[in-house]
Amino acid sequence: MHISDGVLPISVTVGCYVASAALVAWSARRTRNEELPKLAVMTAAFFVASLVHVPFGPTSVHLIIPGLTGALLGPSAFLSIGLGLLLQSLLFQFGGLTALGANALMMGLPALACGWFFQRYKGRTQLRQAFVGGLAGAAGTALAAIILAILLVAGGEDFFGVAKIALLAHIPVIIVEGVVSAFTIGFLTRVKPALLQTSFLRQTKAAHG
Amino acid sequence: MADVINIQMPLWQLLLLLLIPLAAITIMVVWLRRVAYKHSAPEEKRDWSVPPLADGSGTSLLHCWDVRCKIVTILVCSFAIASLSHLEPALVAIGVSLIILVVARVSFAKVLLRLLAITGFVCMFLVVMPFSVPAHNGDTVLVFNGMDWLGFNLRGLRLAATIAAKAIAIAVLMEPLLSTAPLPVTLHGLSRLGAPEMVGQMVLLSYRYLHVFRHEAWRMSSGMQVRGFRKRTDLATLRAVGNFIGMLFVRSFERTERVFDAMRARGYRGRFPEPAELRLRTRDLLLAAVWLTAGAALIAYDRIAW
Repeated sequence: MHISDGVLPISVTVGCYVASAALVAWSARRTRNEELPKLAVMTAAFFVASLVHVPFGPTSVHLIIPGLTGALLGPSAFLSIGLGLLLQSLLFQFGGLTALGANALMMGLPALACGWFFQRYKGRTQLRQAFVGGLAGAAGTALAAIILAILLVAGGEDFFGVAKIALLAHIPVIIVEGVVSAFTIGFLTRVKPALLQTSFLRQTKAAHG
Repeated sequence: MADVINIQMPLWQLLLLLLIPLAAITIMVVWLRRVAYKHSAPEEKRDWSVPPLADGSGTSLLHCWDVRCKIVTILVCSFAIASLSHLEPALVAIGVSLIILVVARVSFAKVLLRLLAITGFVCMFLVVMPFSVPAHNGDTVLVFNGMDWLGFNLRGLRLAATIAAKAIAIAVLMEPLLSTAPLPVTLHGLSRLGAPEMVGQMVLLSYRYLHVFRHEAWRMSSGMQVRGFRKRTDLATLRAVGNFIGMLFVRSFERTERVFDAMRARGYRGRFPEPAELRLRTRDLLLAAVWLTAGAALIAYDRIAW
């Protein structure tokens, strides 16, 4: 779920912009300059993955995948998510630019946290990696929902009810996201484990000379 | 200030109050979506390897405007609109945005798509806030059948309507900003304003490969359908979707390497050629000044009138 323009108080909007600009700068610094074009191409892949809809009872939910992005890209994930959101706003008619900072924080912070969590606890066996990946996927969406609720509540007590509903609405997504992430990570451990090393950008670089 | 004003109403009026606007909105969304999709080209038939960047050819005032002035002015105006806190100025802002839309002569279907994208979030506010806002002194609350816990607070409705109006006004402003110049020119303007040049390049690269991967995903999913895969609410579906995403990543990452090698083979040194030469004229600045004054006037109206 995206925050649309005009919802948050102007001070929160500007604060989120400043915070996410700082995080983007940090994230870009952690990514090597030559890798930036590659990161751009990968962002396209994550963007496409986030368009996948999964049926859930009578409705369908679409994946947000902050957890998976974090697990695969590590510190570069924040930059990638910011770029994805910018693209969505520029080209896919999604909302304006004032809420961009808040949305980047909402998706990017969970990605960083889950990426760190996944790398820290993934262990060695395939089963454990899939399990930790699933946890990271579910936690990514849960954290995003919590940040959304906090940002909404920043508008004052009038927004408590909306924040609660927004949190509840994310529960099905959290479940679906966790299971799908577990399967995706499990698939990658079997097919291309190199992708799950956060420093994989550097490794492939070395392989290509 | 007076205490909370309670107005007793029978229950059927609640249904009327809720169901009719909801039904109206739903019907409108469905109809508008159909209209918007009819006017934008059908997705499957388009060749995604050639991204349909807005060509930005046109002769309106906004097409001729210097792109740097345009970006700064529209962004500042968006933030000005976001900072409004009363319903009436927000409605005026929608009016101003619509006038700009007409002046810029941009595609109406695209504006519709933009508005449709935010309806879900905005409708959540419109439905939830009248019931969830705590009652303060001076509020008017409609109570149905004496059920005190289900008070329809008019202040909440007003607050939600203000938010909706601001969201609409800003969303409408985006289309004149983005589609009155080709995207590379807009991004070039952004980098001339001080944004790192890499940002623009990354947006263009992502956009270009977005369509390649979308096509890839589409091919993969049609392959799955041919093999008898149907989406259901069960674990098997989730497993299939998980593997699908994993496969998409594997293929894209391999492609990433090839793309970058090809770019370097053609002499990529971290720059693209400049898409346009930018010149700042007096009338560009004049237009920006007029527009920004309008934004400032809106804020003044918002702050002083109440």
